Amino acid sequence: MIAEQIAASRCPRCDMLVAPPSTYCPHHPVLMQPVTLPGVGEVVSFTTLHTPPQGFRSPLHLALVELDGGARFVCHGADVRGLRIGAAVAIEAIDDIYYFSHLGAMERARLFWRRTGRAGDRVNAIARSLAKRVWKGRDRAAS
Amino acid sequence: MREVFVAGAGMTRIGRRSEPLPELMADAAHAALAEAGLEAPDAIVVATMNPEEFLGDGNFASHVATQIGFADVPALRVETATSSGAAAFYAGFAAVAAGLRQAVLIVGGEKMTHLTTPKVSELIGRSIDPYERAYGATMPALAGLVTRSLMSKTGLGQREIAQVAVKNHANAARNPLAHFQQAVTVEEVLESRMVADPLRLLHCCPISDGAAAVVVTAAPSRVRVAGIGQGTDTLAVRHRRQLTAFTATRMAAREAYAMAGFGPERVDLAEVHDAFAPFELISLEDLGLVPPGKAGRVTLDGDTALDGRLPVNPSGGLKARGHPLAATGLAQIVECVWQLTGRAHGRQVSGARHALAHSIGGLATNNWVTLLETTG
Repeated sequence: MIAEQIAASRCPRCDMLVAPPSTYCPHHPVLMQPVTLPGVGEVVSFTTLHTPPQGFRSPLHLALVELDGGARFVCHGADVRGLRIGAAVAIEAIDDIYYFSHLGAMERARLFWRRTGRAGDRVNAIARSLAKRVWKGRDRAAS
Repeated sequence: MREVFVAGAGMTRIGRRSEPLPELMADAAHAALAEAGLEAPDAIVVATMNPEEFLGDGNFASHVATQIGFADVPALRVETATSSGAAAFYAGFAAVAAGLRQAVLIVGGEKMTHLTTPKVSELIGRSIDPYERAYGATMPALAGLVTRSLMSKTGLGQREIAQVAVKNHANAARNPLAHFQQAVTVEEVLESRMVADPLRLLHCCPISDGAAAVVVTAAPSRVRVAGIGQGTDTLAVRHRRQLTAFTATRMAAREAYAMAGFGPERVDLAEVHDAFAPFELISLEDLGLVPPGKAGRVTLDGDTALDGRLPVNPSGGLKARGHPLAATGLAQIVECVWQLTGRAHGRQVSGARHALAHSIGGLATNNWVTLLETTG
């Protein structure tokens, strides 16, 4: 499921990544180059639409997800219970429609394992992630 | 560049209207012309967002010109989605400033209440990026994404956001032309039906009919156009790096202040595009009217209320005056003109000399800032 590849494109001038791919960069009159991105990322924001447009069933869950690599992507979700901004999600396609789903602890650990190369990097990455969580928790407690 | 003045302003009551749109636009146009003391303008700029689909009518500039009795006056139509009225104002301003015309009638309007809400929502939603639309994204859905991100990033709370709607309803209750004439409480806002989590029904502007018009001239009058700016951004929300500020507003504000030769500190009152209540808070900071991170606080403190330091949306805003799409940008300018000339009966801000109108097109893809000042 995590291995899903998302078609995207990159601007050769500003390196902006967009998904799905575009012919021209939104900010430059240059042709974009096709790339693929792994179907994992972080939730930037999400909403539940209670009166969706014709052709969609209520409630309709939508999320804006920032893929690893930086492209942002709009997709559907089956559920938003317990979902938070910043949460790690996996994206998969069913009949050409992209859906996000929460990543469990095991999947997150496996991702770290895959993403970081040497053992030292792995330890650093896990430590950074833990520090970030503690920091975020402190912010929430303060506000 | 020649100086440009607003010589006349007029608008219809906003709300559910039974008259055909060209008739509403004729009413607003003739009111503006009468005030300017003009029988006929040199040219007409018409703003409608989507009469082809709302009404099934095309060639709308000629349609409206003929309806008003000006088949012989050159007319054209301007469209930038929900900010079309402000864009039309720019086109009329530019024609006079360039010396091409002496007096231009600018008239905007929209009629939608004869259609069902899902249909209106779908038609307005056509201004959204096609890919995002294919996932069911509507304006409220995208505004919901923006609002959740805003609350998470800035710590802005439900009460601050709800207070925008409460304030604007209170102002509209003093405006006989407003769609909503009744006040609402914070509790009513927070208990209203969920539309696009965390946005509720009373955070959102209504579906309205109406028209507004102004006459701009090279001949001096009591209100001068001090500056106009346009700002743009990507059609797709996913192509933006930030959700909690609108680049298009910042760009438009920079341009307008530069043309005017003064900054936000001189603005006495503002009409701001609050299609969704949190947009007023975002916009106050984008426009430089409030320091970063303070929009919620000043709203709760009453600084933006009618009797506050900087009254915002004295007309009731899109939220409560109503949002007849292409009429809105002009209705904001009409309110500013009335405020600057002491004719905003029942809601007059005393001593205002500089006013700002801010209009958002689409999900902040094509925004405008217009600055007006008194000449007296």
